[in-house]
Amino acid sequence: MSDVREPLLKVRDLEVTFHAHGHSVSAVAGVSFDIFEGETLGLVGESGCGKSTTGKALMRIVEPSNGTIELDGTNVATLSGKVLRAARTKMQMIFQDPISSLNPRRRVKDIVAEPLDCWKKVQGDERTSIVHDLLSKVGIDPVVYGDRYARQFSGGQCQRISIARSLAMRPKLLICDEMVSALDVSVQAQILNLLEDLKAEYGLTLLFIAHDLAVVKNVSDRVAVMYLGKICEIGPADTLYESPAHPYTEFLLGAALEADPDSPMHSQTLEGEPPSPMNPPSGCRFRTRCPNATQKCADEEPLPQEVAPKHLVSCHYPLTIHHKTPTPTAVDG
Amino acid sequence: MSDEKLLVVKDLKTTFDTANGLLPAVGGVSFDLDRNETLGIVGESGSGKTVLSRTIMGLQPRTKVSVTGSAVIDGFEVVGASENDKRKIWGTEVAMVFQDPMTSLNPVMRIGKQIDEALRVRLGMDKAAAKARAIELLELVGIPSPQERYDAYPGMLSGGMRQRVVIAIALACSPKLLMADEPTTGLDVTIQAQILNLLDELKDRLKMSVILVTHDLGVVATRTSRIVVMYAGRIVETGNTRDVFYHHRMPYTKALLESSPKVSNHSHTRLVTIPGRPPNLLNLPDGCAFAPRCSYATDQCHLVRPELEPSSEPGHTFACWNPLPVNEEGALA
Repeated sequence: MSDVREPLLKVRDLEVTFHAHGHSVSAVAGVSFDIFEGETLGLVGESGCGKSTTGKALMRIVEPSNGTIELDGTNVATLSGKVLRAARTKMQMIFQDPISSLNPRRRVKDIVAEPLDCWKKVQGDERTSIVHDLLSKVGIDPVVYGDRYARQFSGGQCQRISIARSLAMRPKLLICDEMVSALDVSVQAQILNLLEDLKAEYGLTLLFIAHDLAVVKNVSDRVAVMYLGKICEIGPADTLYESPAHPYTEFLLGAALEADPDSPMHSQTLEGEPPSPMNPPSGCRFRTRCPNATQKCADEEPLPQEVAPKHLVSCHYPLTIHHKTPTPTAVDG
Repeated sequence: MSDEKLLVVKDLKTTFDTANGLLPAVGGVSFDLDRNETLGIVGESGSGKTVLSRTIMGLQPRTKVSVTGSAVIDGFEVVGASENDKRKIWGTEVAMVFQDPMTSLNPVMRIGKQIDEALRVRLGMDKAAAKARAIELLELVGIPSPQERYDAYPGMLSGGMRQRVVIAIALACSPKLLMADEPTTGLDVTIQAQILNLLDELKDRLKMSVILVTHDLGVVATRTSRIVVMYAGRIVETGNTRDVFYHHRMPYTKALLESSPKVSNHSHTRLVTIPGRPPNLLNLPDGCAFAPRCSYATDQCHLVRPELEPSSEPGHTFACWNPLPVNEEGALA
């Protein structure tokens, strides 16, 4: 992929603040990243880090309180009404729970056609042929299963139907929020392979949000790691996993369990739990659990710095990088 | 007494009488467990791993279920035992940690009281002694400031802390066998590592045996000495953890291992998938239940069910008519 192109999605200083009972929680506290056309950006982090809220804010399902979301040159963050609806057709979201994201009382073919119906794009034979095509692409026989109800399908099949529905408007950007985490491994592998095939066929750009580090690595070109509402590290998937620069990323990777009895056991586990986002620590948000933290980490918030080509880390004391395969320099963030 | 097996399961069958017919959730399972050993039971949803663990505990609905065979925990036959007799072994011989720590705790009862309950009812401790012991247990499972947490409600604790409380309750009466059914599913990776380390540590300290029931091969890879792989209610392969991972003979085990994404994979690694879906237990094939999805299947596989037979390594058995060659290293080599 060439970096001379403008990114398809350009997110700058995105913030989402929720208010409840007189308190405010900044779930997303200033997040900036780019996604280039045809690229998959993985977004990982533990529960409560703001990864799902980031995805929803991009779709304007939750309202961003600050920042810009530039999709294909248009700032989606400031749009409203008809213009917003039109802009949203360029991006679609696939959710975690495949069963509850489909209406159990509707027929599969109507679920997939719904986006088309909303926009009154096509009717009659053309509608049928588009729906048949989409269902076949995701591996569901439209003739046999098109008239069945969503409740008659298993989780994996429901996720296939969700994918077909999300592709109906021919979106450019697909936001996948924990789309395989409710599935069994054998089904998960089928869905991940399907996603890779469709990405190539439809020229999709993906934001892949998940907590499972192995799954994210397998599908992503680049990976961003979030902690307590901020991105602490972003870089090419292979190099970031091989040589993390942020201590949090290193702990996270160390805690990931590999299905291999000979995989090294990491003696160092991250102790404690993330602090409350209602009252985040000053300076670096990870400093309260970080073994390398100093006074500087409490006083100054670390800004993203490039430690290797395309590899940015927000840490005053980044870990040494030992990249094996240097990639061409690009300006990012 | 101490060299005797702690648990001996023989031809255990659990059949549910459903509106659609008889459902053999566990279809004849035999295995045993040594003292101070950790055994992993692995399988996908519907493989019968949870029903198996509950049947061994003697936890099943009072009606519409038939249990045959035998499960002997430290000399006590669970199958056919009366509710009153089973109550005598619950807590002291065998205890269970369930998957969801939110629903296994009473949300309107202080956590200290929930631990006390077991101590007072089962061990006949008085109020003061029970409280002192409960605080000790909270400390044992790594809950910070146990004195204060004694009075907390489950809702005031995070998922990881709640799971520690559930473990404290399970350990209250010093069981010889701890069954953990997906103890870390739903927890974040760093918290998962903490809980698994805790279980490991407690097993050695309290000289217990642990059965880890999970769908996640990563959880069992480095934490167990032996593994049981289940498919459609039966054991398809069992052996020492290393033998199952590196010298598996059953194609299902191989497929399961290959379809799990790995952190060490390069990005965009194509996953190996298992075609089709697990069989409907109401309508199991006569032959091997995996045959319809197996690339090695022959006519014999579809007609006659293979029984477990020994492989070259001690304690390693598999059920397959066309096993993989002895020294195949599998996908992990």
